[in-house]
Amino acid sequence: MIPLVSLVDAVLHFLDPAVLARVLFDGLAKASIYVMIAAGLTLIFGLMGVLNFAHGSLTAIGAYLGGLVMVTFAASASGNVGRIALFFVAIVVVFALLTAFGGAMEVSLIRPLYDRPPLYQILLTFGITLVLEELLRMVLLFYDIQPSTDWLEAQGTRPEIISKTHDVFGLGVEGLEVFQILLGVAITAGVWIFLTRTRYGLYIRAGSEDGEMAQALGVNVHQAFTVVFGVGVGITGVAGALLMWDSAWAASIDLGAEVLLPAFVVVIVGGLGTFRGTVVAGVLVGFVDAFTTELFTSNIVGFSALPELFIFLILVGTLVLRPQGLFGVEEVGGH
Amino acid sequence: MSLLELADVHGGYGETEVLSGVTMDVEEGEVVTLVGRNGVGKTTTLRTALQLTPPRSGTVTYDGEDVSGRQTHEVAQAGMGWIPEDRRMFSQLTVEENIQVAVKDAERVDTHLDRAFEAFPDLREFRNRKAGNLSGGQQQMVAIARGLVGENDLLLVDEPSEGLAPQIVEDVANALRAVATDASLLLVEQNFPLAMDLADRFYLMDHGEVVHSDTTEGVSADDEEIRRYLT
Repeated sequence: MIPLVSLVDAVLHFLDPAVLARVLFDGLAKASIYVMIAAGLTLIFGLMGVLNFAHGSLTAIGAYLGGLVMVTFAASASGNVGRIALFFVAIVVVFALLTAFGGAMEVSLIRPLYDRPPLYQILLTFGITLVLEELLRMVLLFYDIQPSTDWLEAQGTRPEIISKTHDVFGLGVEGLEVFQILLGVAITAGVWIFLTRTRYGLYIRAGSEDGEMAQALGVNVHQAFTVVFGVGVGITGVAGALLMWDSAWAASIDLGAEVLLPAFVVVIVGGLGTFRGTVVAGVLVGFVDAFTTELFTSNIVGFSALPELFIFLILVGTLVLRPQGLFGVEEVGGH
Repeated sequence: MSLLELADVHGGYGETEVLSGVTMDVEEGEVVTLVGRNGVGKTTTLRTALQLTPPRSGTVTYDGEDVSGRQTHEVAQAGMGWIPEDRRMFSQLTVEENIQVAVKDAERVDTHLDRAFEAFPDLREFRNRKAGNLSGGQQQMVAIARGLVGENDLLLVDEPSEGLAPQIVEDVANALRAVATDASLLLVEQNFPLAMDLADRFYLMDHGEVVHSDTTEGVSADDEEIRRYLT
């Protein structure tokens, strides 16, 4: 009868307001992270039909670049306000550099392959990953930073208000989670507005549905591709900078691999190439992760490997029941 | 000087040559139609003019400039519009957004939208509906509206009546007559009487070449020369 007792225990456990609040904040924070790490991937696939396997290593580069800005200037930016302001400077720097890098990468490497089968793009971007990772490793070793362990010095630049757990009406709320939620919401809203309220966003949505028709209406689809690839890579870098402060992820070479799989899960569950789907799937996966983490790592059922398994069960369920994803149409991709 | 001029244009897809030396022109203010059987290269002629299928040899001159090999969006920006076969809606975009994409002057989007809805009052009530959910006739109106708001001097119109009910075809024909007051039209149309009715001149095509051309006055599908190439 042990399982039954456990079930009752579990239900009782989740009725506790403190636990509910924790799952809620955990879920929202994880959702923000999942949406952010998947946003660049889905934007790029949605318009261009390019599956960017270099996505993970670009996230890692964003984490290190963000960390570099923080570590370099941390001494002159003390206090909560100073550090948070510096973090926003770091985000802007990371976004600018990686957007430029992404744009250059599209023009020089991806563009010549549009007329080839998708396998070429996969091989190319996978190759880019290997090159970027090795370059990053060389740079890190040169500066005596251990590449395969978390960069704690960067993590240590977190201001106190973000590092500690705050007491809100008797419930423990982690500062980092609130920060992640706010940033996640802001960036999601920013991308949303870019896509739905700007002229360029309109071109992108039109071009992703029918590139030839968009060109015939006077839209420079090539330029739109470069911008989207750049912005997609830029957002990916910002996500990395955000993860740099989170001890569950943190800046390391391995961050690339850690990020790539859940990012693909979110993109596939949401429907390849739909930003709306990615947001919904990110929230779904975030809450399932938060709920199962609470369930399997609390003292009810101790099995800490299970939460990750559940994320992949969502993927398997989606692929079996609705292969095009929650919001996907059956054929997507510009090519 | 002609608005559009194709001189000995050869072209096609991959290894297949579809156009084997097409020479034709469209004057300013004219409605010209291409007639011929399926597969003789009418659609490809339009695609080649727009550089969607760039010519392998020969030249396409638009508004006095050789545009062969240019990017399609540049040719479109120069004032050549496309109302394609199957209408090619951006089905996930609303009617309004479909029309907005076609407006080339970003400063005057609202003015052009109003103009489109004045020309096609029925579209106004569907403006926020996804274009993919409209009927064929409504989609054709959106496609023509896209051509209209682009301030084009030449519209390439491909099979506008295809798949539409007869009374809707009449609406489409009227819409085309209306846009023809502002722009030249190069029209591909299977409905021979309709094509002759709309156009001032015609080119009869066969096997990727122009085999006959004349004004449309008094021409009917029963004429010996034409029947030979249409049936």
